[in-house]
Amino acid sequence: MEIDKKIILKLVQTLEDLKKSLKEIGINSKDESEVEEIEISGTVVKSPIVGTAYLAPEPGGKKFIEMGKKIKKGETIMIVEAMKTMNHVPSPSDGIIKEISVEDGQPIEFGQKLIILE
Amino acid sequence: MFNKILIANRGEIAVRIIRACKEWGIATVAIHSDVDKNSMHVRLADESVCVGTHQPANSYLNIPTIMSAIELTNAEAVHPGYGFLSENAEFAKILEDYKIKFIGPSSKLIKMMGDKIQAKVIAKKYGLPVIEGSEGGVSDLKEAKKIIQNIGFPILIKAAGGGGGKGMKVVNKEEEFENLFLTAKLEAKKFFGNDEVYIEKFFQNPRHIEVQILSGKNRTIHLHERDCSVQRRHQKLIEETPSPILTDELRNELFEKTVRMVSQIGYEGAGTVEFIYENNKFYFLEMNTRVQVEHPVTEVVTGIDIIKEQINIAFNGNTSLKQEDIKPRGHAIECRINAEDASKNFQPSPGTIGMCHQPSGFRTRVDGAIYQGYKVTPYYDSMICKLICHGRNRTEAIQRMKRSLDEFVIEGIQTTIELHKKLLDHEKFISSDFNVSWLDKEKII
Repeated sequence: MEIDKKIILKLVQTLEDLKKSLKEIGINSKDESEVEEIEISGTVVKSPIVGTAYLAPEPGGKKFIEMGKKIKKGETIMIVEAMKTMNHVPSPSDGIIKEISVEDGQPIEFGQKLIILE
Repeated sequence: MFNKILIANRGEIAVRIIRACKEWGIATVAIHSDVDKNSMHVRLADESVCVGTHQPANSYLNIPTIMSAIELTNAEAVHPGYGFLSENAEFAKILEDYKIKFIGPSSKLIKMMGDKIQAKVIAKKYGLPVIEGSEGGVSDLKEAKKIIQNIGFPILIKAAGGGGGKGMKVVNKEEEFENLFLTAKLEAKKFFGNDEVYIEKFFQNPRHIEVQILSGKNRTIHLHERDCSVQRRHQKLIEETPSPILTDELRNELFEKTVRMVSQIGYEGAGTVEFIYENNKFYFLEMNTRVQVEHPVTEVVTGIDIIKEQINIAFNGNTSLKQEDIKPRGHAIECRINAEDASKNFQPSPGTIGMCHQPSGFRTRVDGAIYQGYKVTPYYDSMICKLICHGRNRTEAIQRMKRSLDEFVIEGIQTTIELHKKLLDHEKFISSDFNVSWLDKEKII
């Protein structure tokens, strides 16, 4: 049976949101280690800066990357905007896009997982 | 007077506007995005409405939700501050249609002056000197030779389809023109597949000088000039008034011409006319139909509260000021404090502010929206506050600014405070011997 990856992403996102809100009121989530185990193997590309993620160079434009497509080292994965500065995040190696972990326009933290490369 | 004003902005300018309203007993409404709910402007306003998520397009630029906020709170007028919707003619038009006062000029004038080509035509028509050049692309030598008669040397030739410096030529003498024009055409053809080139005046040592205007139906006055030539990538960093390099003769001619232009177009409100200045000559750049970041330097030397006068003109249609009321005293300097790491190529530096101590004392003013524990988010401009110092003369203003910068403590994030300390000690700043590309060419930190 095909599992829609979007649903998994949404579940993970909801879980992270829940954990964040729990943390805010001072309760630590116990199953943090379990979440880590779900992670698929591959190269995880993390955000070098806190900001807003953009998957395309302009609104409605062609996206930098697509699921399952090849990417070369140095090519732009996405843009992370911080204080009106557009930071291009380059791919650390050649590979195939296995997972896109953020949505267009989503706020992201420093070190947050952006994509998984294989 | 208005009973209630909605401030369609955030950060230090929203705080600045709320302060002016409070002093006049006008109720204030702050709008904010979800991430700004703990911001200073939200805390200081009488009411606040969350209008959307962190992205400006969803909140501070979101006209439908801002219109709802106006309706919900019964605000009678909107102050747009600078940036965001302040020069958005469509927003001003919608407010006009719904009989809500936009604190600024009419939508028609915003549109007119917002179109750079049209603004240049208007400026020229009403007697302001403009940057002469070809209106469009040129490829014919005869036509090009005719155009250069009006420009004066040096001249810049650049590919119409180009960019990145390719196909760009600086012509210093008329004898060189023909040769370089033909070379530029060839290069343009080679690199961009189009041999058309633009011809315009080339500035070797440009300064940025602007004139502050207040204008009502009854009269137009000027509040003298500001010199904003300390810039990095076209972003102003230090502004001062008066300009250290102008003669009174040039200054007065500039004021007279600017006031004439602004009054003839029927402008209402505060505005700034920006110029490039080089070799004793001014060239019209653009008109900003709003309040500017650097307005406080003019306020401290003239004693005029520009925000209050904007509100007054918006309510009455007339300005209560006369030209003879404007008697600037001394010298004022403003340093913009940005959340940036100047030692790392001005990389943005969001984060939570730890200890925060803002300078104070004689003739020292801080316009800001920061406090201990405030989280500087990465979603908006990096400018978090401004430090303005006033002195009897430029030397005293510099001394006071250095003293104030020394008192300033912002922990937890990187700021431009250290850069400003170095700039104010720099011999080029002290002798005012620099132009707008100084910081792009010379590494200070």
